[in-house]
Amino acid sequence: MTKTKAKILVVDDDVQHVDTVKTLLESVGYSVDYAYLPEKAIEKAKAAPPDLILLDVMFAGPPGPDGVETSRRIHADAELKKIPVIILSGVRKVLDLPFRLEPDDEWMPVKAFLEKPIKPDQLLSEIAKALG
Amino acid sequence: MKLQTKINIGIISVFLILGASMAVLTFKWQNDHAIKAAENRVRLYIKAGWEIYNSKIERIQATLKVLAEDQRLRRLLHDQSDQRLLQEVVSELQVVRSEQNMDILNVLDRSGRVLLRARHPELRFDTVTDDPMIRRVIAEKQSCGGTVLLDQKRLEAEGNDLAEWCRRYSAGETAGMMTGAAVPILSNGRLIGIIQMGNLLNGSVEKVDRIRDSLFENEHYDGKPVGTATVFMGDLRISTNVLDENGRRAIGTRASPEVAEQVLRKGLPWNGRALVVNAWYLSQYVPIRDPDDRVIGMLYIGSLEKRYLDQRSRAIFMNLAMVFGGMILAMTVFFWIMRTILSPIRRLHLATRRLSKGNLTHRIEVKSRDEIGELSESFNHMTQQLLEDQLEIQESQAELERRNHELRVTNRNYMELLGFVSHELKSPLGSAILGVYSIKDGYLGPVSEAQQRILASVASSLDYLNEMIKHYLDLSRLEKGELRVNKQTVRFKEEIMAPSIQGLMPALEDKRMILQNEVPDDFLLSCDPQLMRIVFENLLSNAVKYGRVGGRIQIDAVQCGDESIWHVMNEGDGIPADKLGLLFQKFSRIDPPKNGKKGTGLGLYICKEIVEQHGGKISSESVEGEWTRFTVALPADATIQEKAQHDQNKSQDPGSG
Repeated sequence: MTKTKAKILVVDDDVQHVDTVKTLLESVGYSVDYAYLPEKAIEKAKAAPPDLILLDVMFAGPPGPDGVETSRRIHADAELKKIPVIILSGVRKVLDLPFRLEPDDEWMPVKAFLEKPIKPDQLLSEIAKALG
Repeated sequence: MKLQTKINIGIISVFLILGASMAVLTFKWQNDHAIKAAENRVRLYIKAGWEIYNSKIERIQATLKVLAEDQRLRRLLHDQSDQRLLQEVVSELQVVRSEQNMDILNVLDRSGRVLLRARHPELRFDTVTDDPMIRRVIAEKQSCGGTVLLDQKRLEAEGNDLAEWCRRYSAGETAGMMTGAAVPILSNGRLIGIIQMGNLLNGSVEKVDRIRDSLFENEHYDGKPVGTATVFMGDLRISTNVLDENGRRAIGTRASPEVAEQVLRKGLPWNGRALVVNAWYLSQYVPIRDPDDRVIGMLYIGSLEKRYLDQRSRAIFMNLAMVFGGMILAMTVFFWIMRTILSPIRRLHLATRRLSKGNLTHRIEVKSRDEIGELSESFNHMTQQLLEDQLEIQESQAELERRNHELRVTNRNYMELLGFVSHELKSPLGSAILGVYSIKDGYLGPVSEAQQRILASVASSLDYLNEMIKHYLDLSRLEKGELRVNKQTVRFKEEIMAPSIQGLMPALEDKRMILQNEVPDDFLLSCDPQLMRIVFENLLSNAVKYGRVGGRIQIDAVQCGDESIWHVMNEGDGIPADKLGLLFQKFSRIDPPKNGKKGTGLGLYICKEIVEQHGGKISSESVEGEWTRFTVALPADATIQEKAQHDQNKSQDPGSG
């Protein structure tokens, strides 16, 4: 891990959250970039492709694609297609999203669907798993 | 049956029975009475007729008594040779005879020899002592009246014209019958002569017509004379006003042998019905006796039976009409009374029916001051009371409704606010939890023991807060009515259990618990999967939270008839029996488990709400200090039941094994 620092792109509109996640991930040795909006995230990913994208679902602010839509766009983009995505959201998974959003390599890059609040152990183990 | 109908039927039957018995009695009485009355009447007629028959005789006697005192007649008797005197007396007596319209007027000497005949003065000096009337006068020196039979010889003696007359009216009989009288002519108590006067009855109509006219006034009924009278010489009709078929007087016909036997031979009267020519008459025959008391003829009086029968029928009819008229009148009066009595009852009945249909404003008009009137008044009072009560209830219901509505609105506002607040808390809490755990778990550098203790406490509080928020959000959605049950048939294991188990794995591992999942892969549930996930997640997280460290959690499911039942069981302290019932109440809290984690008091309430919205049941059982088990039973749809049936058949059929 010291040799090749994995780069993680954190996409979330909650500044405190981004800050916390960034601090945690950097402290365990990841390189972290972040974006507060999905469009910005895709831009950044194209400019410097990350090894993994940690994506929120609901975003405040001007109307735009949500996390699910963004993950589809990433999948559809030839350049970004291979980048694994982990969704980390305050959305109540059992209620608000169709269960079919479970990770499915066939059509989505989403490796895991995580629910806030999350404990660092779980987050880090899912990221490690997704990175292979 | 209505009361009125019952009473009517009862009364009508009573009236009918009464009427019928009265009619029968009346009929019987009338019948007996009419017959008796008719018989009495006829008996009276014959008496009267007999009087009329004999009345002339007395008159004749009276006339004769006057004549017997005539001086010239007396002188003539003393000196029978005085021809001049004889001529004078004859002319005098001829005047009397024609005035009196007599057939015979004879003067006899004391031996019964005829001295002069007023009718035929030339016929003299024959002796007529065969005549019982004369014999009697000679024997008793007293006058004698009555009826006598004159044989042919005597008739001829009285004159051929009379003999001829009698023959003509006596169907060949040569005798005649005469009514009349003979009176002795006395001088110083010595009989010196007899004077006799009489009328032949043969062919005469005077007597019988007088009888008929006096008694019946020559009335006719139905074309027939109401009454008839006849004089018989022997059994021969010699004087009658009975007419034969040709309308002539039926002189010369004979009485029936039966009557002749009774009256002529035995000398007794005969009563009864007699067919006279062509109509039935109530008849009476009495014997006519001569002064020797020999029966020589009969007097008959008949009264038309039909008149009595018709009178009787009329009387009976009148009586029946009166009986029935009276009955109808009585019934009319009765029904009128019944109506006036029953109509308030009927009004009461109608009012009661209206009342039972909810019409509380109807009132009965109280017309009478009797018990029924009082009842009606009580009824009105009752309905008034009911109306007031109902209005009161309606008011309080409306009030309750209003308050309820207010409460619902307040609750919804509260829930919306709660939902909003919870949602807003969620994000910052998320970063707080991640941050605190990152420090506590040492990802950001070494942590002192004291720091570690504080951080653990903060983390626990944050976890509690998080759970609280989650439940409030669920509750808020539930009570806002946002969650509609959208039933589908889903695989329980795959679609309900898997996501929750995945989320709870870390906690399970943390407490080194053993999850024993015994749910068949193809177990189906008819439910809204999202809602059922909340239920399952709650039950499982409770099992984890309250389960013993290193204990067992067992999940199993069974299809039981039309119910799909599943259980979540955990080993642990269990729940006291007296607390089991409270578990599903809102904000109910059992004593915190030993590890100090307390619940929100909402999880099981939410479960119960969701399960009940599915039409199912949730229940709990526990053995304190050993285990707790929650059971959810949901109604199964047709697909599930069919499949269960099919599975059962398959397992019972060893061939398919």
